Amino acid sequence: MASQDGSDISPVFEAQRSAYVHVPFCRRRCFYCDFPVSVTGDRRHGGNFSPVDRYVDSLCQEIQTWSGQGKMGLETVFFGGGTPSLLTVGQVEKILRAIDGVFGIVPGAEISIEVDPGTFDRDKIAGYIGSGVNRFSLGVQAFQDELLQVCGRSHSVAEIHSAIEILNAVGADNFSIDLMSGLPYQTPQQWQESLSKAVAIAPAHISVYDTIVEPKTPFARYYEPGVFPLPDDDTSAEFYRQTQKVLTTAGYEHYEISNYAKPGFQCRHNRVYWHNRSYYGFGMGATSYVNGQRFSRPRTTTKYAQWVETFVANNGKINCEVVTERDRLLETLMLGLRLAEGVSLDAIASEFGQETVDTILEILQPYIEKEWVKMIPERNAIRLSDPEGFLYSNAVLSSLFADG
Amino acid sequence: MTDVPVSRIRNFSIIAHIDHGKSTLADRLLMRTGTVENRKMKQQFLDNMDLERERGITIKLQAARMNYTAKDGQHYVLNLIDTPGHVDFSYEVSRSLAACEGALLVVDASQGVEAQTLANVYLALEHDLEIIPVLNKIDLPGAEPDRVIEEIEEVIGLECTGAIRASAKEGIGVDEILEAIVRSVPPPQDTVSQPLRALIFDSYYDAYRGVIVYFRVMDGTLKKDDRIRLMASKKEYDLDEIGVLSPTQIQVDELHAGEVGYLAAAIKTVEDARVGDTITLATAPAESPLPGYTEAKPMVFCGLFPTDADQFEDLREALERLKLNDAALQYEPENSTAMGFGFRCGFLGLLHMEIVQERLEREYNLDLITTAPSVVYKVENNDGETILIDNPSTLPSPNERRKIEEPYINVEMITPEEYVGPLMELCQTRRGEFKDMKYLTPTRTTLVYELPLAEVVTDFFDQMKSRSRGYASMEYALIGYRENNLVRLDIMVNHDPVDALAIIVHRDKAYPVGRSLTEKLKELIPRHQFKVPIQAAIGSRVIASEHIPALRKDVLSKCYGGDISRKKKLLQKQAKGKKRMKAIGTVDVPQEAFMAMLQIDRG
Repeated sequence: MASQDGSDISPVFEAQRSAYVHVPFCRRRCFYCDFPVSVTGDRRHGGNFSPVDRYVDSLCQEIQTWSGQGKMGLETVFFGGGTPSLLTVGQVEKILRAIDGVFGIVPGAEISIEVDPGTFDRDKIAGYIGSGVNRFSLGVQAFQDELLQVCGRSHSVAEIHSAIEILNAVGADNFSIDLMSGLPYQTPQQWQESLSKAVAIAPAHISVYDTIVEPKTPFARYYEPGVFPLPDDDTSAEFYRQTQKVLTTAGYEHYEISNYAKPGFQCRHNRVYWHNRSYYGFGMGATSYVNGQRFSRPRTTTKYAQWVETFVANNGKINCEVVTERDRLLETLMLGLRLAEGVSLDAIASEFGQETVDTILEILQPYIEKEWVKMIPERNAIRLSDPEGFLYSNAVLSSLFADG
Repeated sequence: MTDVPVSRIRNFSIIAHIDHGKSTLADRLLMRTGTVENRKMKQQFLDNMDLERERGITIKLQAARMNYTAKDGQHYVLNLIDTPGHVDFSYEVSRSLAACEGALLVVDASQGVEAQTLANVYLALEHDLEIIPVLNKIDLPGAEPDRVIEEIEEVIGLECTGAIRASAKEGIGVDEILEAIVRSVPPPQDTVSQPLRALIFDSYYDAYRGVIVYFRVMDGTLKKDDRIRLMASKKEYDLDEIGVLSPTQIQVDELHAGEVGYLAAAIKTVEDARVGDTITLATAPAESPLPGYTEAKPMVFCGLFPTDADQFEDLREALERLKLNDAALQYEPENSTAMGFGFRCGFLGLLHMEIVQERLEREYNLDLITTAPSVVYKVENNDGETILIDNPSTLPSPNERRKIEEPYINVEMITPEEYVGPLMELCQTRRGEFKDMKYLTPTRTTLVYELPLAEVVTDFFDQMKSRSRGYASMEYALIGYRENNLVRLDIMVNHDPVDALAIIVHRDKAYPVGRSLTEKLKELIPRHQFKVPIQAAIGSRVIASEHIPALRKDVLSKCYGGDISRKKKLLQKQAKGKKRMKAIGTVDVPQEAFMAMLQIDRG
């Protein structure tokens, strides 16, 4: 794809208005998970010297070290994991205070936290809300105990229901639930059941992830994609279509490949990623995208703590490559085409040139004919169609990646 | 370079099976005689090409001149002429041996004699070479020198009382070997007064000086200002330089009978100075050339196609360049409906084929698709003419031909006796005819079969190795052509016949092969957004059929901030995979699919 050599002009990167905080602790590792986590077991950590406290210290130290960036004001903060709900209210408060102190958190900012059933009570949720959290993401995954076991989840269906009761009781009405389709042994009936139950709970937001067998996970040892007990391709594609039908009928917007929201409740934080904008990332394994540098932190707590020391010693300097213009273009397309709103061709033209837009349209022509890619003339944008275009998004994207 | 009388020259080579330690021993000899200093020693000095070093085998042979003061106080010149260690290059081996008076037979004391070694020893005996048995790796705990000596005596009939026990790795026995060479290998005959005849045993192309020819002067003298004639290629050249290999090239003024050296004369391609050709003087030519020259005859053919059609000219250039250095390589343009423009290439054997492919990809940066190897069939058409077919897709249809003959080889395998059963079974499934079985020793056996070459050029060697847990070795020789009931099996992908996948098989095996091949292709060709039928047919009759189900989804469900680089890499990989595939109609077919024939289970 045509793109000028960006070496002569160094692009001016916009200021970060979002921050991701990684909380790696989990009671156990789920069988499909390849995230950077630190397994704590079921014991509770008390005292001032628990590993979680030590981690929160490193995290706050890292945050402090970014202070040279200036206090632009953050519009979204996201606590992801791991299991952030293993943090005490005090720990969350401490982290948010550190962030606010360094960057400022604007009034009305979206502050999300991922919570898992069985790890919180009413007091904790109320405490989180008191410290500023205003959006919760509940890891449900399935509404069948047998499937939760297959996944190695550390909670039961009963705990899901009591978790939802807690959220409703304390007035945490802006919450999302995560579901997984295409799990081992999962039947179409079970999936329909999960969707119906989700709709009955009526959360503001629902994320639905098709199971991916990631290398080196227990799933990779037990299963082969497309082969029983995993559903075959036809079935998991059917799950995807079924999801789209059920959730859109229930009034959710299918605003991203795997995400559904009631109007006004799209996840603002994740939209920053999909718009390929800059964001801070703090904590073990977290990635930040600051000044055009995508930087991933070490994926164990010890290595992360060591890295923070060096980072402090360097006065907050990150040494890594700046994303090239071509890569930035590919990322913009790869991420933007995940969204139902698509990618604005005017924006591409102003950032990468009209020639680039012409090349993109030429490559996409066969897919436009197949109706996997649609033009949105009123906004001069392109998007993937729902559900077919979304289902084959890799085929479309890899063509963009190949021809250039 | 000091002049040494003919009586104090010794020309020898080393015969050994792969891994039995030939190159290490050669290195030792070079170091011990001070030819190469210790610190300059690259491991395995004689194996020059990267590929050779990686595979641990010698492909291009070379030579080295060593000065040695023996225990008798005399100065000797020892010329080591290396030989390639693979059956594909048996002609080159025979020319190297013809340039020597003696050979070291190196046998791994923990293993024993292998088929390839045996073949080369017989070749050496035919050339009247004095053979010095060396038992190598004597330091290994598993060494059984007495058993191996017994085996050499019984199998080859070679007297082994003087056998040297050595360890090239540890430097044990190296002095004894040097002394034995001086004592046992006869000096060359003193024929300095006769007209010049020098035997070419190797040549390679040098971009600056043209072809560098390695030769042994058999008769007469060659001087640096001579004009030479090559008796087979009938070309004449003025010499630019002559010299010896020590082992780097050192120029000299003249070389006389018995000596080994190199020459450069602005020769444009190795085809003009092929191995086995005789060098004589243009002004005073010898009456007849040295015996043993043979034209290179490729036995195995395959199609080579660039994945990217734009690389066709690059491929042509690369083949031209390789050909400068490889007289046995043949190629001519081929136009395949499925694959576009490429080349039909002929090779001495499978290893030769693999080496060429690998060099094209590695040294010339080409992305190639190779079709399954084929042999040369003799087809008699309705006019009674015999035509040669090296490409299955060009086989005349059944009503346009009277008969097809295919090449047969005599295969000799040496194996520990417990693998005789599995190997016989292998040969039977490959249409082999049993000829002979002999016990070499109570536990080792030779097994002789006659087999169609076509059945051997696929995966026979790998099968033999796996069925014998790596212990069996083999050697083969072409024995002629035989008529068989052969048919062409066509493969259709999404109803399009793919000429590059067509194969010639025996009618009795067409069904199982067709079935395995369609099954394999189903595995190798990725899913598309539509259903892809794969069929095997003889003429218009479909005999096997499979289909690749349509791809229903191709999506990365989750993509959060930390995932972006990883997802991008996945897409880049997918994009790259797409680029390396060949589009057959609307179906993208990966490179491996064109070699599917080598991967199928043939019973």
